[in-house]
Amino acid sequence: MTPVLWHVVRAYGHDRSSAEDVIQATWLGFVRLHRTIADPQAVASWLITSARRGAAAHTKAARRAAPVEDEALAAALPDEESAETVAVLDDEAARLWGAVATLDDRCRRLLRVIAFMDRPDYHALSQDLDMPVGSIGPTRARCLAKLRTALTRGGER
Amino acid sequence: MTTDDDTQLLDALRDMWRRADPPPPGLTATMIAAVVSADLDQEWELLVLVRDSAQEPAAQVRGLATARMLYFTAAEGWSLDAEIDGGQVRGQLLDFDGDMGSVEVTVETTDGQSWTTSLDEVGFFAIEAEPTGSLRFTVRLGGSVSSSVWVAL
Repeated sequence: MTPVLWHVVRAYGHDRSSAEDVIQATWLGFVRLHRTIADPQAVASWLITSARRGAAAHTKAARRAAPVEDEALAAALPDEESAETVAVLDDEAARLWGAVATLDDRCRRLLRVIAFMDRPDYHALSQDLDMPVGSIGPTRARCLAKLRTALTRGGER
Repeated sequence: MTTDDDTQLLDALRDMWRRADPPPPGLTATMIAAVVSADLDQEWELLVLVRDSAQEPAAQVRGLATARMLYFTAAEGWSLDAEIDGGQVRGQLLDFDGDMGSVEVTVETTDGQSWTTSLDEVGFFAIEAEPTGSLRFTVRLGGSVSSSVWVAL
């Protein structure tokens, strides 16, 4: 379960060490509250929801922290677009990576969270992503369409 | 609303992110360590085996020689005295101030058998059972669940 939580939290743009902190808080929250989760089948969904909330809260807290220049710079240079990252991908995945990089933050986040969730809860997602619940489905479709366009363009180059 | 094409694309994205941004190698172990070192006492009690007749010199009193006596304590202060003998598992919950009638005791064996019973008003229980292999006790009281380690018979 931890690897799935990793991707969900990283979707919110946190650096690797902040992502670890959020995941740890998620697990500790689970330990404290697990008896209140009546249905064992619901555990995975509880963990994912809690990780998303933790990641969203961490983003808000980080915004309030008003980072100094160096930190702002580091945040503006995401490690996920490094040459090392692309080197581990095969051609098709590298093409996909390049296409994802052209999407805006909101699309990237939404697609990554949805990709790692079996049955996305649109209502909860709408709160965490600051989107009206009715717009998640259309936004998802629009983001996938933009991704397809970027893939096609990339293929023509 | 979700087309097969969308599903395929999302599958490809998932695969791409798994490879491009994998979790740190020790992440799962770190999380397990964090959970283990958290203060679990209030959430999930461990019944600690403090006396086991199998670990003591042979009983001097005839008639008890075949009985296995186990004595567990919980951090909350109460304890469980159990005796396994002749097709019965009997015992008593001691030093518990709450409603005895709401307490459930479960005996489980590693081969998958399980027996559950409630206590009488003074905390006694008796289960018709001949557990073999290893067994453990689980006590449910109030909102908490306390389990013992597996004890080999």
